[in-house]
Amino acid sequence: MTAYLDHNATTPVRPEVVDAMLPWLREGYGNPNSVYALGQRARAAVERAREQVAAILGAADASEIVFTSCGSESDALAIAGGAWQAHDETKGKRRKVVTTKIEHDAIRVLNGQLRRRGLEVLEAGCGPDGIVNAAELKAMIDDATAVVSVMHANNETGVLQPVAEIAAAARAAGALVHTDAVQSLGKMKLDAKALGVDLLAVSGHKVNAPKGVGALWVRRGVRLAPLVTGHQEKNRRGGTENTASIVGFGLACELAGRELSSAASHALALRKKLEAGVLRVKGARLNGHPELRLPNTAHFSLDGIDGHHLVVALDLSGICVSSGPACSSGASTPSHVLTAMGVAPELATASIRVSVGWGSTDADADRFLAVLPQAVEKLRAAAKVAA
Amino acid sequence: MKRRILVAMSGGVDSSVAAALVHERGDEAVGVTMKLLARAETGFGCCGSPADVDDAKRVAEKLGIAHYVSDMAEIFASKVIRPYLDAYLGGTTPNPCVECNRSLKFGHLLGLAEAWGCAAVATGHYARVVNGRLHKSLEPGKDQSYFLYSLDAKALSRAEFPVGSLSKDAVRAKARELGLKTADKPESMETCFVPNRDVRGFVAAHAEADAPGIAGGPIRDRSGRELGRHNGLAAYTIGQRSGLGLSGPEPRYVVRIDAAANAVIVGGVDELQTKSITVGALTWNGERNGGTFQAQVRIRHRHTPAAASIELNGDRTATMHFMEPQRAPAPGQAAVVYSGDEVLGGGTILRSLGGDA
Repeated sequence: MTAYLDHNATTPVRPEVVDAMLPWLREGYGNPNSVYALGQRARAAVERAREQVAAILGAADASEIVFTSCGSESDALAIAGGAWQAHDETKGKRRKVVTTKIEHDAIRVLNGQLRRRGLEVLEAGCGPDGIVNAAELKAMIDDATAVVSVMHANNETGVLQPVAEIAAAARAAGALVHTDAVQSLGKMKLDAKALGVDLLAVSGHKVNAPKGVGALWVRRGVRLAPLVTGHQEKNRRGGTENTASIVGFGLACELAGRELSSAASHALALRKKLEAGVLRVKGARLNGHPELRLPNTAHFSLDGIDGHHLVVALDLSGICVSSGPACSSGASTPSHVLTAMGVAPELATASIRVSVGWGSTDADADRFLAVLPQAVEKLRAAAKVAA
Repeated sequence: MKRRILVAMSGGVDSSVAAALVHERGDEAVGVTMKLLARAETGFGCCGSPADVDDAKRVAEKLGIAHYVSDMAEIFASKVIRPYLDAYLGGTTPNPCVECNRSLKFGHLLGLAEAWGCAAVATGHYARVVNGRLHKSLEPGKDQSYFLYSLDAKALSRAEFPVGSLSKDAVRAKARELGLKTADKPESMETCFVPNRDVRGFVAAHAEADAPGIAGGPIRDRSGRELGRHNGLAAYTIGQRSGLGLSGPEPRYVVRIDAAANAVIVGGVDELQTKSITVGALTWNGERNGGTFQAQVRIRHRHTPAAASIELNGDRTATMHFMEPQRAPAPGQAAVVYSGDEVLGGGTILRSLGGDA
């Protein structure tokens, strides 16, 4: 039995989601764009899912939802699509993207590409608590700014970001505002309108739907230069709709929305238990703001170890946690998020992230806490021998 | 009882088959590939370069065993690359594989193995452990015991060499039989972290710009006559003939590197013949505190161990007198002492004492 405590990496697909998807992989294979009834049924299923996703995001209308292949694509469509559109419409006057040093690699790598292609990209820092420095960021916004992008909650530390405050300033300057809310979906209430943003990215597999489906909420009236061209999704994203996964995503959002408050309090109780247990280990500390965090995420440093080696030790005991974003497994380089927070490199690499979610139990937490102290102790002993 | 065994998987065929054999006999094989170089330097085929990591992962997937990557770039830099540079800069010829085996595979990795609940570390080396003692592999042409002499009794008690009793052909055949991706992968040659075998280029790129070993200097004969110029001591090793840029009727070989004078000394082939060497940093399997004994000494990989009389000085140094003069022992290389197939111990060559010492 695996104790899965890495829900920020991905989540198990709920059985009712699998069940809802299967008909669309079997008899419901029609192209949603086809004229005949087989296609019409598929289209109806996609549109139903669009309403379900719109509901959990607080959208004014389901037509504001654009389905994509993943959260990374949603981010790219928002930032690159938004920036190039504004750039072209203003004949190059708006050529600046303002974002932060703690964004997901989906955005950081994109930023490098935008820079190489001639846009100006500025990144604001964060405090030791992992909260983006809003004053610094707002000072970067001017009338040449095309897009401002600030993540809703950080994927590593879970720390919540001052999106609404920044959004107000950005919109006042006439810039588009995007937020990467991939980690927040299903873990806390999201209300795109109330946040005051123009664009908001989410992903299916972080909310117990399958991998390979995401969405971008696009405030009505906002224009984007499409990345994948074609007539689907009202010309905003080409490609035949991934009916089954979209259906699964829709249902997962509906379930998450319905269960939000109980799921959040369950996650918070488990997180507090995990934090109390881990902090009893000598040389352990919690990274990020103690309160302003997703209810399900805790990030720790345990001095004297390599976090990656601890992940291996725990895996060999059937426990899944991560030592950084899943995308960068293998290299023990300090995470850019912890570096931005000013955490020393040797402490940054000595860290693990524990994240709970749907299906997590007290028994999972107990198993993790039973194995952790000795695993850490042994790794510290090994590190001493090597030095 | 099923034991958990950590298998160091480089992404080559030998360690792939080592993992397969551990798995096949019913133990729990846990594959680990060490990432030895920083990201920017992994553009070539070295342990832990992306292509090799991928090969190791594919083999592990095929076998159905766990596989992890461990970032050891920092410790590799301090324990292997730095001493390697220092040796060349000081005019000696380093043996980084010995140090990697001691400090990394059977040092740091062995420590991790214990922390991970593994009973042993298995590698793809061609060598054997018999009754706790290191022995040559049964395939003489592939034997790698030379690079493993410095493992202590504790390391040997936790070391496994699953291919040590096999021939290379048998290893490749086994890999093919199992459909492993690495079955026909070419042998890695020379020093794994030096691209294109360009030792001088590597040393120049990694050493301090004003390091003495980088500066050019004279090539002289024994009488002190300057015959040409060298482009930094780091490019030269005892016994080397090519790359000297000398003309003349007689072939000339590097017979000595004079680091103090930044000079390379050349001579005829007869001047390479050496009767005795002094060896330091000795380690022995078992107690040896003094006295003289007869054994066979190997002075480089693939050298046929030569009969010698070994005079211990008690302080981890010895003088080794060969029965027949040996060609070109190079300071910095290992001198490994054998009794037949068994490795008794070894150390680092400090000096060769010339043909008539």
